[in-house]
Amino acid sequence: MNLNFFDQFSSPSLLGIPLVLLAMTFPALLVPSPENRWVTSRLSTLQLWLFNLITKQLMTPLNKKGHKWALILTSLMIFLMTINLLGLLPYTFTPTTQLSVSLALAFPLWLATLLTGLRNQPSISLGHLLPEGTPTPLIPALILIETISLLIRPLALGVRLTANLTAGHLLIQLISTATMTLASSMPTISLLTLLVLLLLTLLEVAVAMIQAYVFVLLLSLYLQENI
Amino acid sequence: VLHTTRPLHTTQQSLAPVPPLPEKGGEVRHGLIPEEFFQFLYPKTGVTGPYMLGTGLLLYFLSKEIYVINHETVAAACILAVIIYGIKKFGADVAAFADKLNEEKMATALAMKNEAIQTLQKAIEEEKKEQWRVEGRNYLFDAKRNNIAMLLEANYRERLLMVYNEVKRRLDYQVAMQNLMRQKEQNHMIQWVEKSVVQSITPQQQKESIAKCILDLKALSKSAHAAV
Repeated sequence: MNLNFFDQFSSPSLLGIPLVLLAMTFPALLVPSPENRWVTSRLSTLQLWLFNLITKQLMTPLNKKGHKWALILTSLMIFLMTINLLGLLPYTFTPTTQLSVSLALAFPLWLATLLTGLRNQPSISLGHLLPEGTPTPLIPALILIETISLLIRPLALGVRLTANLTAGHLLIQLISTATMTLASSMPTISLLTLLVLLLLTLLEVAVAMIQAYVFVLLLSLYLQENI
Repeated sequence: VLHTTRPLHTTQQSLAPVPPLPEKGGEVRHGLIPEEFFQFLYPKTGVTGPYMLGTGLLLYFLSKEIYVINHETVAAACILAVIIYGIKKFGADVAAFADKLNEEKMATALAMKNEAIQTLQKAIEEEKKEQWRVEGRNYLFDAKRNNIAMLLEANYRERLLMVYNEVKRRLDYQVAMQNLMRQKEQNHMIQWVEKSVVQSITPQQQKESIAKCILDLKALSKSAHAAV
């Protein structure tokens, strides 16, 4: 089929049936479920080790109340990482390139942290709006700035994820188109472009994992301030 | 995968013993196609059969433009190259790491079991030693009995000595008393005799004895003079 550059970002549908939910839940099939045995297969062992590592990393700076968030943060991390990595395969739809998915994940979680903080320790969580040691005349301006920064956080979380992934995918498309077009006229340049594409693919793999990690890390940071 | 192994609950979901995991996974060729496929085609088409099939299919899709070469093809080639490179380079290490994790888990449990066995064996040896010690109890009791007997004997002899000394003291006292009485009686008698004698000396006798003494003395002095 002849693709334009935006077909990969359109929500998939088969004969009018939207498949986006399938695209989001399919990665769960690829993660092996815990087996009912003591010494498991290599995949299960590695998965368990990875989950333990992630949970330990996320939960170490949090106090005891924050540990209630362990399940959702770890599953969010695995969800985002699998979706991002699977999206690097050809002809695959990446749900996180849709702003709706990213914002739908970021907004409620950020709001949950904010409301937890405001409900349980309002003065402490409002106190985060003013950094320590600011000179007195600057206080009103700084509070305004910090409030805007606070309110922009969910937007930033969602847009960061979407923009990174979309930009990466688009770059891959563009450079592969360039490689293909140059192959007939200037093959040497085409090979150079192919090299750039290989490096870019490596970068995209890294970005896929890092963006997932950053998303969850920032959420845990917001949680630390407020819980 | 999700729990699809018991969809209709036809078997017991028993916990143990769980059947052991197979030693190796299924055989695959080129990392993707199971060996069974090649074996399936071998009787009819020989060794090159599946490869001919693959090549033919690929060329058919390409020539009939059922699969169109577009930019995604290049991107697919790149990601495939990255994946294959990653698996070839890090596959063995990751497998070894997973095996090491399992080995450590088993080794900890094994160590606990062995330690428990060692502790129990040591306890058995200690118990045997205690039983051997019990046999030698008699000697201990005999020694203690002798000890006590010696103490009693020593104590008895001490008391005997004390009694002897006390009795001797009393007897000595009696003897001293008797001696004292005899002495006193002797002294008294001598004094009485002397007193009587002194009283019996009349003055006449006294003069006579004194004159005699003087005469004697003169005679002696004469003889002494002569001697010298």
